[in-house]
Amino acid sequence: MTTIQTVVLAAEETPSPVLPQPYDIVWSLVCLVIVGLVFWKKVLPLFQKVLNERTERIEGGIAKAEQAQAQAQQALEEYRAQLAEARAEAARIRDDARAEGQQIIDEMRARAQAESDRIVAQGRAQLEAQRVQIVAELRADLGRVAVDLASRVVGESLEDEARQRGTVDRFLDELDAVSAPANK
Amino acid sequence: MLASSSEGGSAYHPPSVAEFFPDVILFAGTPFAIDRVMLVRLLMTVVVAVFFLVAMRSPKLVPRGVQNAAEYFLDFVRKHIAEDILGREQGKRFLPLLTTLFFLIFACNVSGIIPLLNMPGTARVGLPMVLAVVTYIVFNYAGIKAQGFGPYLKNNLFPPGVPKPVYILLTPVELLSTFVIRPVTLTFRLLGNMMSGHLVLVLFFGASWYMLFQISDLWLKPVGVLSLAMGFVFTLFEMLVQFLQAYIFTLLAAVYIDGALHAEH
Amino acid sequence: MNLAEVAGNVATIGYGLAAIGPGIGVGIVSGKACEAMARQPELSGQLRTTMILGIAFSEALGILGLIAGFMFGGTA
Repeated sequence: MTTIQTVVLAAEETPSPVLPQPYDIVWSLVCLVIVGLVFWKKVLPLFQKVLNERTERIEGGIAKAEQAQAQAQQALEEYRAQLAEARAEAARIRDDARAEGQQIIDEMRARAQAESDRIVAQGRAQLEAQRVQIVAELRADLGRVAVDLASRVVGESLEDEARQRGTVDRFLDELDAVSAPANK
Repeated sequence: MLASSSEGGSAYHPPSVAEFFPDVILFAGTPFAIDRVMLVRLLMTVVVAVFFLVAMRSPKLVPRGVQNAAEYFLDFVRKHIAEDILGREQGKRFLPLLTTLFFLIFACNVSGIIPLLNMPGTARVGLPMVLAVVTYIVFNYAGIKAQGFGPYLKNNLFPPGVPKPVYILLTPVELLSTFVIRPVTLTFRLLGNMMSGHLVLVLFFGASWYMLFQISDLWLKPVGVLSLAMGFVFTLFEMLVQFLQAYIFTLLAAVYIDGALHAEH
Repeated sequence: MNLAEVAGNVATIGYGLAAIGPGIGVGIVSGKACEAMARQPELSGQLRTTMILGIAFSEALGILGLIAGFMFGGTA
């Protein structure tokens, strides 16, 4: 029975759990203000700063990557342009070389032709000269042989220079007149 | 009957409301009196403040260690409460309030299952009431600032799109639900959950202590073990409730602010 | 005797009565939320928030019953 009474008494003594004591409110406010100030003034601004930095870094990274890509693209295009230019130049050089080669060949051919012509002409002239010389020699030999033969045949001395020369020349002219049409 | 079978006069004392009103330790009789609950509150406040200050003292771009943990918690409130309910811009505006509410409540809840403390700082009406009043002031202030005093009251008390006679019934209900029930339920939801959770734990652990060590009746020992196991299970359950109550309080604060900011009802 | 004293407190019965409604309400809320999540899993984040709000509102009644028990139970 006494225990029951004490329990009831204790229950009556305990303050209502729904109505706060002043010190309860005071310490609650103290806790709230401390935690509130810590978050409001210190932690959250720092956190926000870090978040902003992070966002910036990520966006900056993306921008950088884009820039690098653009640069790479540009370099590729430049390289391609250079390559095309080089190809064009190579083609041009080849064409030039071919043309030059053709020209050189033509020149060489012309020169060779001229040389050969010259050699042929020289040969002809030489031959002509030789022919003329041989003809003259032959003519002299033939005259002497003919005179010898004739003097032997006629038995007559053809000592007389004038007569002799006149006879020979006359004979040779006759001979030329006969052989010239056939020779031509 | 059980009590009568005990020996040595140590009767079983079931936990009561008196559990939450321990003796005052310091400054008795002044508005600064300190008892165990207040000590727990102050300790948890210091723990929260020191943890976040240390974790974020020089925040790095790539978080490491405690900073990682702190950012994870802060991000939870920022993303899943503030930005989910209030949107990006308003969420940023009210983030300090919501963060403070969440971590203060959570820390003071969690002290209920921390060994040696074993007392939720929110199990006394002061803290829930102060927080609910702050929330009440903030959401009314936000509503009045966003819509103006007249339109804000009109939107809340005379929601548009209802035939006129209905207002006779609707307006008192709206008045009651928006301006009375909201702060009261905010307070009592938190207070009640924490008180009852603590009472349940005290009941189970007190009962197992009593049955295992204070009485010699052998047949009650297994019951004591069972009670201990139940106490353990309820400790786990309390962890969930403690987190959930902090979350719900903050979420409701965000929802009330959001409702006050937007005119459409 | 003491146990009987506590068990006999009328506030306990009051709390028991007060817990019926919210219990059913919380069950309905979470059941419906489960259905909705199963139907539209992509909305589950939003649904979970709404579910918790609904649970909080209906739970408030049960908590009020508990508080009422504390408030008026001491004198029983």
